[in-house]
Amino acid sequence: MGRRGHYLIGAPWIYLLDLEPDLGAKAKREGTIWYPFHGWEKHSVSGDHARLAAEIKDVETGPVTVCLYWLEFANPRIRQAYEAQGFRVICHGERGSRWDAGGRDFLRKQLTQLRRHRRVASNRLGSALFYGASVGCDVAVYGDPMQLEDERPEYGGTARRLRLWPELHGVGVDPELARQAARRELGFDYQATPEELRRMFGWKRVRCA
Amino acid sequence: MRMTEAPENVRLIGGEMLLWSDLSNVSGFTDWRGVALELMARLLPADLPAPRRVLLVGPHPQVLVDEVAARAPSAALLLRSYPDACALGERHPDLAVHCGRLEAFAGDEPYDLVLAFDGLQRTHSAEAPAAAWRESLSALAALVAPGGRLVLGVRNDLGVDRFLEARPPDRDGGDDQWEPHGFDPSYPDGPAALDAGLEAAGLQVRCAYAAYPDSLAPRALLSREALAHDLPEALTFPLSSRADDRMLVSDPLRLARLVFRHRLGEELAPFWLTVAVRSEDTADPVDLPLGLIEEGQAVHEVVPAVATDTRPVAMRRLPDGEDRPIPAGRVVEEILVEACAREDVRAVRELLAALARWVEDGGDASATTDSLVWDGERFAAIGTGPAPQRTPAPEVVLCRILWRFAVRLLAAGHHHPWPWPLQADQLTLTLCGMAGRPCEQRELDLARKLEAELGRPAELAGTAPTYRDLLRARDRLADQLTAALARIARLETKLTYRERELVRARGKLRRTQRKASAYRRTLGYRLSRRLSRPRQVARRVMRLLSG
Repeated sequence: MGRRGHYLIGAPWIYLLDLEPDLGAKAKREGTIWYPFHGWEKHSVSGDHARLAAEIKDVETGPVTVCLYWLEFANPRIRQAYEAQGFRVICHGERGSRWDAGGRDFLRKQLTQLRRHRRVASNRLGSALFYGASVGCDVAVYGDPMQLEDERPEYGGTARRLRLWPELHGVGVDPELARQAARRELGFDYQATPEELRRMFGWKRVRCA
Repeated sequence: MRMTEAPENVRLIGGEMLLWSDLSNVSGFTDWRGVALELMARLLPADLPAPRRVLLVGPHPQVLVDEVAARAPSAALLLRSYPDACALGERHPDLAVHCGRLEAFAGDEPYDLVLAFDGLQRTHSAEAPAAAWRESLSALAALVAPGGRLVLGVRNDLGVDRFLEARPPDRDGGDDQWEPHGFDPSYPDGPAALDAGLEAAGLQVRCAYAAYPDSLAPRALLSREALAHDLPEALTFPLSSRADDRMLVSDPLRLARLVFRHRLGEELAPFWLTVAVRSEDTADPVDLPLGLIEEGQAVHEVVPAVATDTRPVAMRRLPDGEDRPIPAGRVVEEILVEACAREDVRAVRELLAALARWVEDGGDASATTDSLVWDGERFAAIGTGPAPQRTPAPEVVLCRILWRFAVRLLAAGHHHPWPWPLQADQLTLTLCGMAGRPCEQRELDLARKLEAELGRPAELAGTAPTYRDLLRARDRLADQLTAALARIARLETKLTYRERELVRARGKLRRTQRKASAYRRTLGYRLSRRLSRPRQVARRVMRLLSG
């Protein structure tokens, strides 16, 4: 706020929630969806997945779904590390980019999965946890945070996340605090109205059947 | 000039200006209206034993003269202009009209009430060097009988309007500027000096008013006691707005708002009006108002609030309206402008949504962002404008409010967070969308019609832009131009690069084509084509048969 040349509209996620109020909602939510910290197309992440899987096994009581990024999902060794503990291993697909249409359903798939689980956890505090908290999941952050190769130190690393959100780290986190943090971080209060977005992006009104 | 035709009640006293008229000159004198009439009516009450002898000194609006003539048993005028004196003498044969300069006037008997709403500047003539202000004051004070009252107007040389005027009337070099103003050391430089001057002349200040919004056409009087309070914005905001199309240095709103916020309302008032009395008797039967404010034709009195109210003052519509509290809170337009400057679109969205709900719940159809205050919970209209003949749909009312705001926002050159619309219409549609009530061009047209019907034009097209606005607009255009030039330069570079690439690719293509045609002409190629042709035909036949 107060910065020029920006326009606050909040995260795309809040608009998805607005459009899909009950996508994937189930009467009974159970288990944990676990998002291990992942690398991306340009940098891979280094860490011991087997040890992490063992730690998850120790902590979690219900059934566990591990959601991997597509790069790690494609790596049979990593998948094996989690499957060996009896976890279900899934992937939301590619994220897509500005130039290719792939990954259009990424957030939709993620929403479906999050609404099925009671709890969302990761070894690093990330968007998945905020998304989860915003749809009523309990939140947990534990385990080896792993290391991204060439991680840029100016972003502050794990220490900074611990400093900014100390209340969101741990095996069990106050769900109310997590919900508030998610609302703040995803910018729920900044949701723009449809007409505003339409005018901002120059979208034409299309008649939908 | 036919001197012989002067009415019988006009008496020349010396220093009269034969070829001069203050009344026919548009900006020749202070244009007092409702508030002066009301104050005069308080000083000349119908039921109390009225002051018998009343004197009007200097040029006054006709309506004021008429009113004095109707109310006072014995009234007199003192004017410097001969044509004005003749005109008024003819109009009111019962009035004694004295024509000449103030110092030359020696009434046979002092007066119970002396009114000099216009001040002392237009009481001396070109026939003699202008007397110092203090000398004129003592001459005026000498006309007040013991127990009598004096109403004296004084223009503030350091009033807030003087800072804003791009062309101050006294720098115009007009014909009435024969004596340059501002070199008289006895001219009061503040309310304290004015009080001291009156006391030195043997008068006691009964009530000191500050007149707003400017010295040429005062529309509000606020007493010293009222200005000592932290006045609500709903009261001070209308006093700060721009009155007409004079060329200004900047929009008076910003500076005048600061004046009230810092409680300098009296020191920086454009005009002072003091009621003084020559008497040791403290019990004065006349009840003077705390403040008077004109709103169109209506005059409101500022009255002290009841003790239970936290707000210092309330309003009463005259002649006999009920007291109503002045709504608290901040002016909606200012909240929005501030949020726009901070690019706080969330605050804008929330306030506009609240405004839309208010309009839908039957809010005032003639409301505007500059006539509404918001105290965080509810909206309240500052003053009620003329209501439209039939109540329009809520979305049209909202659309009009937002359109007016958009026009004013863009005209004042405020910063706003929306990069895309440059036109007020586009901005209005966006604002309606932000309020969650999207509307179309059709509603906008209706809203414009409503605006025209209500007759309070938002478009400042008719008024000259202020000097500071012009500067800001120039800077903004310069910035846009710089950005556009930089963009053109960048695109040119890119274009040159692409052109070069294109030429290179074309050359490559041509070389390849040449090579290919040379290859096609070779014996080996032609032979291999001949040999492969029958095989291709056979394959096609096979495919047809099998498919």
